[in-house]
Amino acid sequence: MKPKRGYARERFVRSVETTLAILIIIGAVAFIYDILAGSRGLDIGYISANWLRYVRAVEINLSITTISFILGTGIGFLVGWVRTVRSPPIPKILRDFREAEKAGAARGKPALAATVIAAGLRHYVKRVADAYVEAIRGTPLFVQIIFVYTVITTFYPRLPGVSGEFLAGVVALTVNTGGYQGEIYRAGLQTVHTGQVEAARAMGLSRWGAMRLVVLPQALRLVIPPLTNEFIGLLKASALLYYISVLEITFLTKQETYVGHHFESFALITGIFLLITVTLSKVIQYFEVKYRIPGLGIQPTPG
Amino acid sequence: MIRTENIHKYFGALHVLRGISLEVKRGDVLVIIGPSGSGKSTFLRCINLLVRPDEGKVFIDGVQVNRPEISPEWVREQVGMVFQSFNLFTHLTALENVTLAPIRVKKLPKAEAETKAQELLARVGLAEKAEAYPAQLSGGQQQRVAIARALAMDPKAMLFDEPTSALDPEYIREVLDVMTNLARDGMTMIVVTHEMGFASSVASRIVFMDTGLILEEGRPSDIFEHPKNERTRAFVSKILR
Repeated sequence: MKPKRGYARERFVRSVETTLAILIIIGAVAFIYDILAGSRGLDIGYISANWLRYVRAVEINLSITTISFILGTGIGFLVGWVRTVRSPPIPKILRDFREAEKAGAARGKPALAATVIAAGLRHYVKRVADAYVEAIRGTPLFVQIIFVYTVITTFYPRLPGVSGEFLAGVVALTVNTGGYQGEIYRAGLQTVHTGQVEAARAMGLSRWGAMRLVVLPQALRLVIPPLTNEFIGLLKASALLYYISVLEITFLTKQETYVGHHFESFALITGIFLLITVTLSKVIQYFEVKYRIPGLGIQPTPG
Repeated sequence: MIRTENIHKYFGALHVLRGISLEVKRGDVLVIIGPSGSGKSTFLRCINLLVRPDEGKVFIDGVQVNRPEISPEWVREQVGMVFQSFNLFTHLTALENVTLAPIRVKKLPKAEAETKAQELLARVGLAEKAEAYPAQLSGGQQQRVAIARALAMDPKAMLFDEPTSALDPEYIREVLDVMTNLARDGMTMIVVTHEMGFASSVASRIVFMDTGLILEEGRPSDIFEHPKNERTRAFVSKILR
């Protein structure tokens, strides 16, 4: 077999690339540090005295992100699932029926009416889901946040028990991640081959049984990596909530820069974000490898 | 055992099945041959209602099953099916593939289902592959697991939809051997296949289908050696060459 040599070369190229990438990252970090601190150096005293405040502030980011992510998973799953449903357009159903009728199939008017109504409903629910996803993906998250904030503060200036900013943050991020997760779930569900469902149905499983026992266990494994990315992306995006005065970590950082701790506060915020995101992705990666099934999803890269 | 009367099926304006009537007796092996697009697979799926016939009747053991009162799930428990592309559940081991439906549909206790699954895997020659995932098996092994999986529901009959068409040549034999043994053990089978060796040695009858119609029906020797219909003759001469 010939791939032997190609494979060795591929591994060589990959190791060169990895080394290069590491060098570039180290260089970039050093360069940024030089810009950040330069001759001035970091005030370690400030960092050790104040780091807990930053941790407290990032808890707000984490809680908003987590709440939004969980709510968004509900929305995303429904939207993704609806978008996988096959729905021929109504004119096609009507045309098919007329031609079948002409050819001599007698299915009856009531049966036709039921089919057309069901298909129509499916068709339009699907279109609404499509529109939602397109609207979310086609506009900046920043604009969505301002929009939700404006709507909430205009119509409900005084909310009992919860700050308008916090609520606006949760709503905006939920609606946003719902759209993106919709795409993730759609892709996950569609990746499971239709033959799997057919085989499950052929053995006497119900539609729901096939979904629960065959499609979901596969689809959910497939969506874990993109969902991890989405969570990390959402956590980073929660920094934008600074603009609508949510008292999260970016807000605190900005405040601290006003009183002269530019470099220390930026070192803290970047450090904290990196710590959370890198830890999270490594932990998820560990479980992914541990529960990996041969032939399902991304396979381990050799070497 | 299985009888169909005047089955019609439309896919939109396409008239895929144009009145298929046939009968398969207990222990019979019916082989369906015909060019692609002739409706063979659709007809198989009409029997276990994976595709609902638009017209006509499907009887299993004398009971008409394509009626609203009868759940398609019940029908599918009676008739096992094996697919061209195996369709083993990717996320389950060979053993779990075989036990899934007995546990979930028949509500068999897990231990009992597993003992039985082991027996079935041994019967198809894969006792030692119980813990392997489908991706770790060859095509022939996957298809044999798929046969064991269908047998696990104790079906009254088995449908095979081109079970060897997706296999590399070296694996075809092992699947056909399993099917031959199954037929010898008295299983009622309807097989869509182009394996003429299998058809002539195992089939009790052969049906030639084209353009949604049964054009000819008879014993293997009749169909292969003295086909009456011109299109049968043309088709047979092409595949026997």
